[in-house]
Amino acid sequence: MSVSPLLAVEDLSVRIPLAAGELNAVSNVSFSVMRGETLCFVGESGCGKTMTSLAVLRLLPKAARFSAKRVLFEDRDVTAANERGMARLRGKRIGMIFQDPMTSMNPVYTIGNQLEEVYLRHMPGSRRQARERAEYLLSRVGIMSPRLRLAQYPHELSGGLRQRMMIAMALICEPTLIIADEPTTALDVTVQVQILQLLVSLQREFGAALILITHSLGVVARVADRVAVMYGGRIVETGPTEAIFAQPRHPYTHGLLACLPSGQQHDRHARLQAIPGTVPSLIGETRGCEFRSRCPQARAGCAADIPVSTAEDGHLYRCVLPPGAIPPPQSAIRAGAA
Amino acid sequence: MTETVPDTVLECRNLSRRFDVGGMWRGQARSLRAVDDVSVSVRRGEILAIVGESGCGKTTMSRMVLGLLEPTDGSIVIEGQPLAEIDRMRMSRSLQPVFQDPYSSLNPRHTVAQIIGMPLDVHRIGTSAERKARVRDMMKEVGLPGRFAHTYPGQLSGGQRQRVAIARALAVNPRILICDEPTSALDVSVQAQILNLLLDLRERLGLTYIFISHDLSVVQFVADRVAVMYMGRIVEAGETAEVTRRPRHPYTQALMRAVLTPEPGLGLPDLQLQAGFADPFNPPPGCHFHPRCAQAMERCRVEAPIRLHDDHGDVECHLYGNGGQRKL
Repeated sequence: MSVSPLLAVEDLSVRIPLAAGELNAVSNVSFSVMRGETLCFVGESGCGKTMTSLAVLRLLPKAARFSAKRVLFEDRDVTAANERGMARLRGKRIGMIFQDPMTSMNPVYTIGNQLEEVYLRHMPGSRRQARERAEYLLSRVGIMSPRLRLAQYPHELSGGLRQRMMIAMALICEPTLIIADEPTTALDVTVQVQILQLLVSLQREFGAALILITHSLGVVARVADRVAVMYGGRIVETGPTEAIFAQPRHPYTHGLLACLPSGQQHDRHARLQAIPGTVPSLIGETRGCEFRSRCPQARAGCAADIPVSTAEDGHLYRCVLPPGAIPPPQSAIRAGAA
Repeated sequence: MTETVPDTVLECRNLSRRFDVGGMWRGQARSLRAVDDVSVSVRRGEILAIVGESGCGKTTMSRMVLGLLEPTDGSIVIEGQPLAEIDRMRMSRSLQPVFQDPYSSLNPRHTVAQIIGMPLDVHRIGTSAERKARVRDMMKEVGLPGRFAHTYPGQLSGGQRQRVAIARALAVNPRILICDEPTSALDVSVQAQILNLLLDLRERLGLTYIFISHDLSVVQFVADRVAVMYMGRIVEAGETAEVTRRPRHPYTQALMRAVLTPEPGLGLPDLQLQAGFADPFNPPPGCHFHPRCAQAMERCRVEAPIRLHDDHGDVECHLYGNGGQRKL
């Protein structure tokens, strides 16, 4: 493992001052991504997965306070980079794809204009070269008659086509890292699969690393090399996808897997294993495991700072439970109502 | 599914709804068949799921069943009476909706108790004290702690709001709930809570649900029977176990393949769908699905398939029945 990671983030925190106190949106998150690798951030709304990605891109809301021990991108420390330095990276070295393509495109410019703008801003070349490049990328993302599409406005396209557009825009400067935040959540189920297929195949072709943010464990299982499970602003468990799905070591990961209805045959009396309660407030000083109020196995030690442990298979987790305390996530159906 | 079974509580007969768009000032008048000749029935105590992707007509269906939209053709029969002959007040006591978005479907300026009690006020049910007691009971029924009675929706989480919406729907003691994507705005851990609640309530109160969803994994878990819609038509219907284990229509097969189960190592599925796209204003001739169908034959491009009804359920596809035998 002498190869240095493409992106290495150490002790990243995001705090947002609110009237009620300070919101600890992201707390001491560390992770890295290798070239060509796919890392998925998974968690429920408010867990900090989007804030983490925005912090890397330095696109946080104005009020948010960002701190990190180190953010290394392509072996350069960008922790203290200014806005101009970051703007040079965004769109060029780091491509971005957001959940809702309609709000992340400018409705008054044609698709061609918007694609070319990204290219012209970062690459040396004429408008004609930009147009050719835009046309090429549209055909690469499976858009038929690209020349026609370039002249259209975002509202004239369907959701699936718009998301293809976003992918084309993210790839136009051949970035080494793509950050995609819930790129398929707003789409129909069949279109979701097609867009993921496209994203993964282009990522391979361009040799880019992919950070994919999603709430769907199904998506994670099918595309991620490694996964980071987030809860309450922290990474509670991270490692190779297969290892974590085979034997989660954090009760939250186990709960997420167990509460999925997928693959269960219909039975009138079966119930799902729901995680009781709701996400805790992240306002003010937080200590200990954020999940302990919902955890079926919470104990006294959970209120103290939780150290990071390493499982036998090498994945990292933040939980005090001994090995073997969490069953493998198979027995998903709880028979009868409680 | 068309023959009337004795304990049928709700039946749609050849239901259609057309929307006419444009033609007033500019552009050509075009018409969209949002729901096209749909016949389906729901038995007492059953959960019937209507599955399909956006624009397939499932929400238009639910709006017609709720009496919020007039059908262009066909009829809806609720507990033996045509919907057109039942007055709104009486109808709403047997049929109540639960909507997708618990953020926009609750009045932000009303307290939880006011929201749940509103249907009782509208229907003038009971004395003020009885209504209060009923609201308390309903909150208990859906698992909302009593201390929430005087809070506002803005202070609640998504799951709690959906519980309020369910309690409101149950206040007038309806027999049928129309749940339109009741969990798709919720996180998975909360989705499981709400699905369990709906299943428990059905058992305790003997409710019947029409459950509208785009998520086959959810449908597979909750529904007794399922109807798959594509471009306004039911292309396949039957017992959930049967349809999900052996989907027959190529569209149902694609929907089943698109369910991403959390199994690492499998990679992304091949949906076996063509890139074709159909304009809903100008549906392709023959089978509407043929531009996307990997199994399309010459016949599919010219001739609309007829619904085949057999032991496995209903399917509308040229691949089945002796060359699409006519059978009603």
